[in-house]
Amino acid sequence: MSGRIRIDGVSIPFADGQTVIQAAYDAGVHIPHLCYHPDYAANGSCKLCTCQIDGRQVSSCTTKATDGMVVESNTEELNSERRALTQLLFVEGNHHCPSCEASGNCELQNQAYRLGMTALIFPDFTAGRATDATHPDILLNRDRCIYCELCVRASRDTDGKDIFCISGRSENKSLAINSDNGMLDESGLTVDDAAANVCPVGAIIKKRQGFRKPIGQRDYDARQVTHNKVRLPEIKTPLVKAPGEKVTVATCSLAGCFGCHMSFLDIDERIIQLAERVSFDRSPINDIKHISGPVDIGLVEGGVCNTENIETLREFRDNCGILISVGACAMDGGVPALRNGLDVRDLLEESYINGRGIENPQIPVDRELPYILEKVSPIHEVVKVDFFLPGCPPPADAFWQILTDIVDGRQPDLPYDLLQFD
Amino acid sequence: MNVDSSAVVRDRLAHYNRDPGMVLQMLRDIQLAQNVIRPSDIRILSESLNMPRAKIKALIDFYSFLHDSPRGRYDIYFSDSITDHMLGSRERAAQLCAALGVELGVPNADGLVSVALTSCTGLCERGPAVLVNGTAIDRVDEARVAEMAKLIKHNVPLMEWPLEWFVINDALRRKGPLLDSHMRKGEAVERAIEVGSHQVIAELKASGLRGCGGAGFPTWRKWDICRSTHTEQRYVVCNADEGEPGTFKDRALLNTYARHVFEGMTVCGLAIGASQGYLYLRHEYEFLRERLERRLERRREVNLLGRNILGHHGINFDIEIVMGAGSYVCGEESALIESMEGKRGIPRIRPPFPVTHGYKGLPTVVNNVETFCYATGIVARGPEFVAHDGSEPCWKLLSISGDCRSPGIYEVPLGTTIREVTEMCGADDVQAIQVGGPGGLLISTDELDRVLSFDDLNTAGSFIIFDGSRDLLEVALNFTKFFKHESCGFCTPCRVGTKLMVAMADKIADGHGARVDVEQMQRLHHLMTQASHCGLGQRAAVPILTTYEKFPESINRRIGDAEYKPAFDVEAAIERSRQIVAEESKS
Repeated sequence: MSGRIRIDGVSIPFADGQTVIQAAYDAGVHIPHLCYHPDYAANGSCKLCTCQIDGRQVSSCTTKATDGMVVESNTEELNSERRALTQLLFVEGNHHCPSCEASGNCELQNQAYRLGMTALIFPDFTAGRATDATHPDILLNRDRCIYCELCVRASRDTDGKDIFCISGRSENKSLAINSDNGMLDESGLTVDDAAANVCPVGAIIKKRQGFRKPIGQRDYDARQVTHNKVRLPEIKTPLVKAPGEKVTVATCSLAGCFGCHMSFLDIDERIIQLAERVSFDRSPINDIKHISGPVDIGLVEGGVCNTENIETLREFRDNCGILISVGACAMDGGVPALRNGLDVRDLLEESYINGRGIENPQIPVDRELPYILEKVSPIHEVVKVDFFLPGCPPPADAFWQILTDIVDGRQPDLPYDLLQFD
Repeated sequence: MNVDSSAVVRDRLAHYNRDPGMVLQMLRDIQLAQNVIRPSDIRILSESLNMPRAKIKALIDFYSFLHDSPRGRYDIYFSDSITDHMLGSRERAAQLCAALGVELGVPNADGLVSVALTSCTGLCERGPAVLVNGTAIDRVDEARVAEMAKLIKHNVPLMEWPLEWFVINDALRRKGPLLDSHMRKGEAVERAIEVGSHQVIAELKASGLRGCGGAGFPTWRKWDICRSTHTEQRYVVCNADEGEPGTFKDRALLNTYARHVFEGMTVCGLAIGASQGYLYLRHEYEFLRERLERRLERRREVNLLGRNILGHHGINFDIEIVMGAGSYVCGEESALIESMEGKRGIPRIRPPFPVTHGYKGLPTVVNNVETFCYATGIVARGPEFVAHDGSEPCWKLLSISGDCRSPGIYEVPLGTTIREVTEMCGADDVQAIQVGGPGGLLISTDELDRVLSFDDLNTAGSFIIFDGSRDLLEVALNFTKFFKHESCGFCTPCRVGTKLMVAMADKIADGHGARVDVEQMQRLHHLMTQASHCGLGQRAAVPILTTYEKFPESINRRIGDAEYKPAFDVEAAIERSRQIVAEESKS
């Protein structure tokens, strides 16, 4: 049966046997998805393509189109569910865009952009799955696997090799390899195989090919704008200032590189405009080391990696009316979180004993030094955060936008093109 | 246990005719024979079945009772259902571990014993229950645990353990038409052959019988649709994967009313034109298997099964028992079929439904044990079999456990109120009742006038009663953890959602919860309901949120008026660093 269906009010044709997403794909209508691929049979596991079809929410990749079918896809409710699903996948695996070779070419990141994800509201799991680096040309980083099963299907249906399969269940689910030693080197996978090229994230990547294209030219850098502004959480009590009274701002960097601060300074001459309205309390800009008292806005860069970070962060939370988590490291631990999953002793030995050029090797035990935490955590797992400004770093314009919005007493929204994950 | 591994594997390969579809059955047999599936076993299976090793490993990792690292020679599982908790299972497990010097979940060094927890084993009214090398023992009290520890320490074979430990009785507390029916062997089959399939289906329709597994699909329609498919081969499958915690009526039926079960399956086969039936029996009911096999054999001897049944040329039907290997999801009919085919139990994309595309892709009727039993009565005695006062057409078996004087099986007509149920079973101090298992509904005392029916409280029949002393958050947490453990992991909302739900519920139970956690759970629940692939994910957050809705105090008293509290535990986070500094300071 062929005929027409309506997606968000637009009538499109479908051919006999097509699913809703196939018809949409052919008609150039985008329905967000991760596990769907036009070359393969539907899997139906990621659930991002869930649409409201004839009154029920169902996966559009497994629902056959029928004449007169009414499909809603681009609605706030569905997009908010998809955003949540994207967040679930981000916290389930280790998806640190700034340090991922697939950044810019990653379908998960692309969906996070499209859906306007700014924050990871759920606790991070810190996956610690086995990486397989045995293959000379291909690397399998299971921590980034989203179980879309595209490699499983590609290897079975296109390559005829049946190299991958899904093993286990629930949180112990994993991507397994059909070979005698269970590793990629004996699997017969080659770089030209469809299975080596189909991974939508950074789980199956080619060695020696990371970061090949410069930022700006990668697949998903040219973003499909689906909305103009990314909605940020509502401010319940807007800032009210007496005429002439300045808004006070404090900033700090925890386990970060101060790169976000550098980006902030990239607002260039606008800092003079800002200084007319804002006075800075603790900040590396003026080298004040402690917050002097209650301030209106706190900007915190970097994740939480030691006890001093916790103290600083709590001081900020206690004193800042609005606390903004700035940059990838504050948001998900970022680059420092790459150490998560390694034993603290190994880290200390690498830094203080085995590293190159170390004189008098010993692990410092001075009790004045802060303790290193078991893992690097995002700041919102330690204190309540009001806003998230993602990016590595967030663009200068993003700082400008959120600060001027708050100072002017407006509800802050992030212009869509300032949303950034790397 | 010195078992020649390759001999066991080769024996199983031969037994199942090297059929790759039977790989799960082979793995299960190997596990039970030698307490582990070794890499060499996997290699032989892989070569003999022409199946990649990873796929075999994938099965071992999916099913709870298959292991590629050795379990103890006495491999013991305590049922971790809430009903077992209430009867002291955790304490008994701790007692046994202490007596044997073994850590829960970890086999001891000499390979003698392993003690672990498992999802509900279906002995809810007679817990705490354990499985020892696959065999069930009920009412494991303090004395029994002490005795058990002695037997294990002295290496006494299971066969020589006290016989009475292995006798699982059924508490049939209230009998209706089914439990009271004394069916002559072959009665329903004879009548089905006599009246023909049209009449069989017409009588089922007239009786109003609907599926007793919980979904309530009209039985006659399922059979009719299957019969109308254009194909040579169809299948009958009896779903005896009774995994819903708190449900044990199928166990009792298989134990005491197996005739009804097999007769119902046979009648179905005759009605839809199928020549093969399968009983998918959950792993935990291994103790029923041998007797069921014997009964099948006797039915074959009198030609109630096999070729030309009762001498009628061309009427062929036989039944085989297929075992599960530990997966709750396999109770869902399409996942059950996947499991029967020797795969991981992942629910299929539906439609198409099994009734048109089932086992091996062919039309398959999957019905619950209880449904087949009622069908037997209806076909043998006519639709009046289930008529009750001329008004209520159907009956229901209830599995009642928890805080009441007389837990057990009750056969009641639909239309019975919850209040009547509590009176029947002697529940004097009701705080709440979980109806229909963790995936069902939590009922408060305000709702005792609700009635059992397909419109109001539709249930597979499980009632778990909680008295005033029970902490309902603990109950909800147990259910939430159950769902996480049993999630097949296929779809994002369920796989990640169940894990997050446990994390957030744990946070609240530990006193670190806040308003924001409850709001987060509500949003996540909405997502899981809307987007999950099957009922497990759709229902997984119901227990905790229904508890919050109906018994807010059980949660509010733990979170106070905090809007936000971090789960972050500084002491735990610096534990490792402290340890290192202490070690370094010494040296």
